[in-house]
Amino acid sequence: MRKQTLSLAAVASTAALALSACGGVSTTTGGDDGGEYPSRSVEMYVGADPGGSSDLISRQIATGLTEELGETFSVLNRSGSNGALAAAEVQQAEPDGNVISVQNASLFAITPLAVAEDEVTNIDDFDVVGGVSRDDYVLVTNAENPWKSIDDLKGAGKKITYGTTGVGTGAQLACALTYESGAIDSEAVPFDGGAPALTALLGNQVDTACLQTGEAIENIENGKLTALSVFAPERIEFLPDVPTATEQGLDVEVYQYRFMTTPKGTPQDVKDTIWEAMQATFETEDYQAFNEQNSLTPMEIPGDEVVDALESDKQRYADLVEEYDIDLGDAS
Amino acid sequence: MDAFLDGFSVVTQPGNLLYCLIGVLIGMLIGVLPGLGPAATMAILLPIVVTVDPVAAVIMLAGIYYGAQYGGTITSVLLRLPGEASSVVTVFDGFALAKQGKAGTALGIAAVGSFVGATVSIVALSLTAPIVAGWALDFGPAEYAALALLGVLLIATIGSGHPVKALIAASIGLLLATVGRDSFNNSQRFTFDSLQLADGLDFVVVAMGLFGVGEILYNLEERHGKVHVPAAVANIWPSRKELKQATPAIGRGSLIGFFLGVLPGGGAVMASLAAYATEKRVSKTPERFGRGAIEGVAAPETANNAAATSSFIPLLTLGIPANASMGMLFAALLVLGITPGPQLLEERPDLFWGVVNSMYIGNLLLLVLSLPLVGIFVRILRVRPAILAPITALITILGVYTINNSVFDIFVMIAFGILGYLMKKVGFEPGPMVLAFVLGALLENNVRRALLIFEGDPTGFVTRPISGTILALFLVAAVFPVVQAVRRRRAATTVPDETTQREDVLR
Repeated sequence: MRKQTLSLAAVASTAALALSACGGVSTTTGGDDGGEYPSRSVEMYVGADPGGSSDLISRQIATGLTEELGETFSVLNRSGSNGALAAAEVQQAEPDGNVISVQNASLFAITPLAVAEDEVTNIDDFDVVGGVSRDDYVLVTNAENPWKSIDDLKGAGKKITYGTTGVGTGAQLACALTYESGAIDSEAVPFDGGAPALTALLGNQVDTACLQTGEAIENIENGKLTALSVFAPERIEFLPDVPTATEQGLDVEVYQYRFMTTPKGTPQDVKDTIWEAMQATFETEDYQAFNEQNSLTPMEIPGDEVVDALESDKQRYADLVEEYDIDLGDAS
Repeated sequence: MDAFLDGFSVVTQPGNLLYCLIGVLIGMLIGVLPGLGPAATMAILLPIVVTVDPVAAVIMLAGIYYGAQYGGTITSVLLRLPGEASSVVTVFDGFALAKQGKAGTALGIAAVGSFVGATVSIVALSLTAPIVAGWALDFGPAEYAALALLGVLLIATIGSGHPVKALIAASIGLLLATVGRDSFNNSQRFTFDSLQLADGLDFVVVAMGLFGVGEILYNLEERHGKVHVPAAVANIWPSRKELKQATPAIGRGSLIGFFLGVLPGGGAVMASLAAYATEKRVSKTPERFGRGAIEGVAAPETANNAAATSSFIPLLTLGIPANASMGMLFAALLVLGITPGPQLLEERPDLFWGVVNSMYIGNLLLLVLSLPLVGIFVRILRVRPAILAPITALITILGVYTINNSVFDIFVMIAFGILGYLMKKVGFEPGPMVLAFVLGALLENNVRRALLIFEGDPTGFVTRPISGTILALFLVAAVFPVVQAVRRRRAATTVPDETTQREDVLR
């Protein structure tokens, strides 16, 4: 009981604090003169609204960094253009580590296939501190349908509709590649995010959908949805019985991953400090449990490896899209 | 049944009760301040609440959500600032009442209506959640499209202005909804190559500009005219006559809100809109609407609270978050090691019933809290416009900035403020424009989605039972007033000049 009263008081006071500070209005005084990093509260932009996996991951990391480094890392939602607006905030900030962001691979590897050239965000404009985690896509269908694998879809004898989480997303790319390379007659139906696509699939309004694993796993486990394929390099821990697309004879590997970025030219010691604190966070039980609950696979690799992965994925996707003549949007 | 009663014993534990109280208080506070919504607040508090008992945490977060629904009414009525799409309709009669010195009555009836609506919805949720959840799944793109079309038609009948002017404003609203990247082929529409506009305009930014800033500008002009301050604002308790007037509206609003609220995305907006339109239609004196009809506040406020409650159904029974706030609740449950979905009720009955029953208590707390507070809030209206206007302007600017941490949004809001002022000057209501703006995206995207699913065959809209029924309703609603007008013209040769009367009341 005593513990509850204590934590209650903590909640009340912290709530008041957090609310008063949440505007995120802080005086940007520019670079600090070589003092210890961090010397003030750090702004962490996230290119998505509250509640989605990008937002939750940023908040989880921010909590860890705050604990490790003793200054507040506050998450600021700056959604829009698949994260391009948040990216622009980081790109324009002073390279002192006071404005940082966990960014999505799709912005750099997939969005360029879907938007005009001058809207492309380039990874060269950032310093990449290190990787965070991988978020896999899964191809699902309503369990009322007779299909159990991608091959079954080929023999469906009808045009297969597939819901996606939006145009120019990894979910759309994964599904489009699967159907095109498998020569399955299909039609994409874009929704505004994962929840509406999942709703439509549960109501059997669309035949199949590509969703993030965390969004679909509950309904896969309770038998309302059948998982037909995952798109990871190997089977994923959370759905061990679901074969990969490669196992089913299709060369489709698409996944989302996230990594910490700072403005270009951030001092090495600042980046090292962030990376060490991140690694310490990765070790905590809380963080590992968070990954588990959200079906996230750790991808805690150094920054240069992230950049290599981004470059090769971008090229690979571009080649596949060209080979199968897939239109992700108004790319021209 | 036992589990249901056990749920009450969970809520009435002193710790949980206190969390419930903290939740609804925070919710009400952020509801009053425009901008920072319940989803963002939950996100900020998430790391703290996960350290406490899971049931208490969820009770508190849920409290923030429905507490915010209460708070939002206050600014809609007093300052003409609808914090979210579902309280836009409240502005029409709520603000009119406030101008007549009946702000207390409006807020009082809204609080009572909200309480009744939420309670009816919770009872219905307790009894029928799994059945209703299945019903929501039958709503595919075709059904949403038909519903949104019906909504656009209802808009024209709303407010006090001329229906043709309302339709023109609604058309502009539909056009505004097309701004941004096309969500089917990614092409830019009216974005002028600006990444800021690529995701379209934010509803809150548009609404606060058109209503809030527009009102401030309009009042500045009127400053030298007669005194703005209403004489008496003391009567918080609605009179018996007013209660009697509002009772059927509250009843209908509860039902409409409960059913439409189950639909993810746009459910709450449609609910408040449909409830208002229904009241206007069944009323013997529809001309009072838009000029301070008590039912015009009671119905939408009841409906949007009922809808807020029933939007828990998809989350708790299907594992689908119906809106951003439900998304945060979903996340909170995950963090606590609970996956929302069909088996939640079996695996964690204490949590399911604990949360559901906490809403009974929470709504009671809100009613008890808000009625005395109404007296304090209405005093805002006594503040001289010269002082109130800058404060309101500051609140809106700060509020708009906090939504998306974007300075660009502030300028968008000011631009819409100027538009709102001009519209008011020439007798256009901003309400239909804002509502059409909200429904526009819903309508367009779902028509296109449905056509993709139907492989381009539009007969699918009519042959599917639910969408067919809604479209039939649409036809009736569209044709009925025309027939009525023709009949009336035949019956009476002289029609009283309504427009001059309207101008009088508006002043």
